[in-house]
Amino acid sequence: MAISSARKLCQNLIALSIQRCRISNNLCRLSIVLKSPTEFNPPLLRVTISDTGAGSSLAEFKCMDWTSSQVSAETWDGVLSITTTSICDNEIHHYCLSFKETIATRRLSRLPTTPKNGRKFSGSEVSFTVQESIDDFVVWITQLCQKISILKIPIVAVELLVEQMNGPGSRCDHLLLAKDGILLPLSMPSIERLASGLEDYVLKHGNAVDKECQDCFSSREQLKVGRGVACSGPSVKTTVQMAEAVIVITEVPESSKFSCLRACSKMTEVLTPQMHKRTQCDRNLVKKAVKIALDDLKAKYTGLFLSSHALKIRGYAPDLSRAIAGLILSSNDKDFQGECASLLGLQPEDIRGEGIVDSCIREKIIGVIEMNDIKPKYVKEYAPHLFEDNSIQKEESQDEEDEGAKVGNCLKHAVGIKNLSCGKKDPSVHSTRTESWILFWAFSA
Amino acid sequence: MEERSRDSSSKPQNLHLLQRIKGFTRSLLEDVCIRHCLPSVTLDRYRNYCSDPTGNWYCCNSNLLNGEEILSLERESHAYRLDALLRVLLIVQTLLQENKHLSKRDIYYIHPSVFSEQQVVDRAINDICILLKCSRHNLNVVSVGKGLVMGWLRFLQAGRKFDCMRSPSTGHPIPMHVEEVEDVMCVAKYILVVEKETVFQRLANDKFCEKNHCIVITGRGYPDVSTRRFLRLLVEKLCLPAYCLVDCDPYGFDILTTYRFGSMNMAFDAKLLRVPEIRWLGVFPSDAKKYHLPDCCLVPLTPKDKNKAETMLQRCYLHREAPQWRSELGIMLQRGMKFEIEAFSVSSFSFLSDEYIPSKIQDGVYI
Repeated sequence: MAISSARKLCQNLIALSIQRCRISNNLCRLSIVLKSPTEFNPPLLRVTISDTGAGSSLAEFKCMDWTSSQVSAETWDGVLSITTTSICDNEIHHYCLSFKETIATRRLSRLPTTPKNGRKFSGSEVSFTVQESIDDFVVWITQLCQKISILKIPIVAVELLVEQMNGPGSRCDHLLLAKDGILLPLSMPSIERLASGLEDYVLKHGNAVDKECQDCFSSREQLKVGRGVACSGPSVKTTVQMAEAVIVITEVPESSKFSCLRACSKMTEVLTPQMHKRTQCDRNLVKKAVKIALDDLKAKYTGLFLSSHALKIRGYAPDLSRAIAGLILSSNDKDFQGECASLLGLQPEDIRGEGIVDSCIREKIIGVIEMNDIKPKYVKEYAPHLFEDNSIQKEESQDEEDEGAKVGNCLKHAVGIKNLSCGKKDPSVHSTRTESWILFWAFSA
Repeated sequence: MEERSRDSSSKPQNLHLLQRIKGFTRSLLEDVCIRHCLPSVTLDRYRNYCSDPTGNWYCCNSNLLNGEEILSLERESHAYRLDALLRVLLIVQTLLQENKHLSKRDIYYIHPSVFSEQQVVDRAINDICILLKCSRHNLNVVSVGKGLVMGWLRFLQAGRKFDCMRSPSTGHPIPMHVEEVEDVMCVAKYILVVEKETVFQRLANDKFCEKNHCIVITGRGYPDVSTRRFLRLLVEKLCLPAYCLVDCDPYGFDILTTYRFGSMNMAFDAKLLRVPEIRWLGVFPSDAKKYHLPDCCLVPLTPKDKNKAETMLQRCYLHREAPQWRSELGIMLQRGMKFEIEAFSVSSFSFLSDEYIPSKIQDGVYI
């Protein structure tokens, strides 16, 4: 189902908050507060996103491109209340941004300021009202926040608060606090945070991010992780773009015991903040990062991650090794047999051992097949079965349709998570199934 | 498995080939263990003709090496071929060590599910011949002989006497182990090769050999290796002229060229199998008119026939060595009709034996 423009707006505002937090370079809090007065029907919901990051220059809001017709078709009233102050400001600025206004320059209204009375702090608060049931919205925003927590963004703690206004008093539920990112050492590279986040995600049962299941993957050791970072060179007009990708793969036995996993991992796709319309350059960068991550996986776990071509070829290894072993063992020339044993690194007496020569040759042939498979000439054939559902391409085409707000040179922040179930085409591993997850994001460095 | 002799040391050829097989096995191991690459086999590629569209037939290197082919496990299509080659090679090694013989069909039935069809074994055997630079019989692999011979001939094969002269009009199977044929004695004036067994039997019934003092051979269609090697042996040892009688259709013509020039499949061994001296006795396209064949005996060429004939016209050896054959083939294609040898029996059953063949040989009407 297409995401409503109110929810898109919410995603954008959260991304902008994260960006302001990152710019401030201090430990920050990002609060998402939902308020729902009960007396209205249809129900109204007040969404407030506040952060303690650097103040806003309003540029990111001016870049937002919502047309009045888009707004009127939606349940959002088209008005944003913005409050912001920078560390060096003496007062807090208040604005009203109305997308109902057709002339762009008239959209922003400055409201009276509030003095800071000499106190030094910075932060922003943006709120808007939407006509939507709080229960539905809470489900959606909770998932969104959980997915943001996967990124383990440094210095930002995200909290989600719901304030129910029931007649005489109000009740505040503290639903979620995503603080994993700030608990990690500040020096931890972003890619490692991403890897750690995806591992947590996988251990928590795929999409059911709030549940842990001991049946599926009880330890991180079972997870095979590949990391990839791709950068675009800076040009005159653009900043350095980076994309990071993490791939987690694990093999699980095909057994009814793991029905829980199958239930949760049926080609699920989670897309979190699409803050901008991705360019071809971003897509290429993400592809490059995914490719590097695949390389990393293949280098670390040789044999696990063969291309379909290599898998087919490997299928011939047992027959071939048996025939070569037969040629050696059935020869009536003992010197020749000794020579072959030496070539294989075996002792002459091993030659008569049951299946020793055969298995030694087979291992060596398979070793060469695996080595060849990670050579550059096979680059184009990277584990094609990982992409055989074309989900990456599908996701890209969705991007094309995504009319998310353009935020110019602001944070380019896109996260995608894929869970791709894929069957290995190797007859020797019928009993297992490969589960894989890819997490990637692109941003301006 | 047919046992010829338990003493393989008496066969220097076997020892030589066994050395080559060991060398090949060693090189496969070196590929994997030293060079860290997948096992591969380099095979010379042979052909016995080209179809150069530029018309440069006289510079054709037919019967010579024509590049090489590398079978590598890296290609899936090669992997299966390599598997078949190694399986057959393992069998051949055992045959040579124990000096036993197997037919191609026997080999097929050792791994029928893997080989899936006889052609897979046939190609593996050809590959091994090229690899070890030898002929099929050197591998102790024989085909079930399908050729027949009759006439004024006597010879020994592995000490066993084949005396066709005692009954010159009775067909005998051509021996499988032609290399063991010796002491060939003959009082014939020529050798007649006929395409089909029906014609062979017709000639036997008509006591053609007795009347004409000749030897008649048939390969029963496309001739197998034994038939061609036997014919070549007779022509070489006896220095007799050899004539060939085939149907007047593209397949008959192709069989004729197989006797004279060899087949493409076994181009690597063509020099031992072909009989360049053989002459085409008939039947020619022009014979239909000359012998007043009724129209009912003439059948139009099918599109497949025409295609085959057109392709054969391009073969370089016809341009270079048999232009008359080529022009007859061109006439067949131009007239668009074909007919069988048996068409001559319309007027009289024994017309072929009594008139057609003797008169052609006597008058030298062959090309």
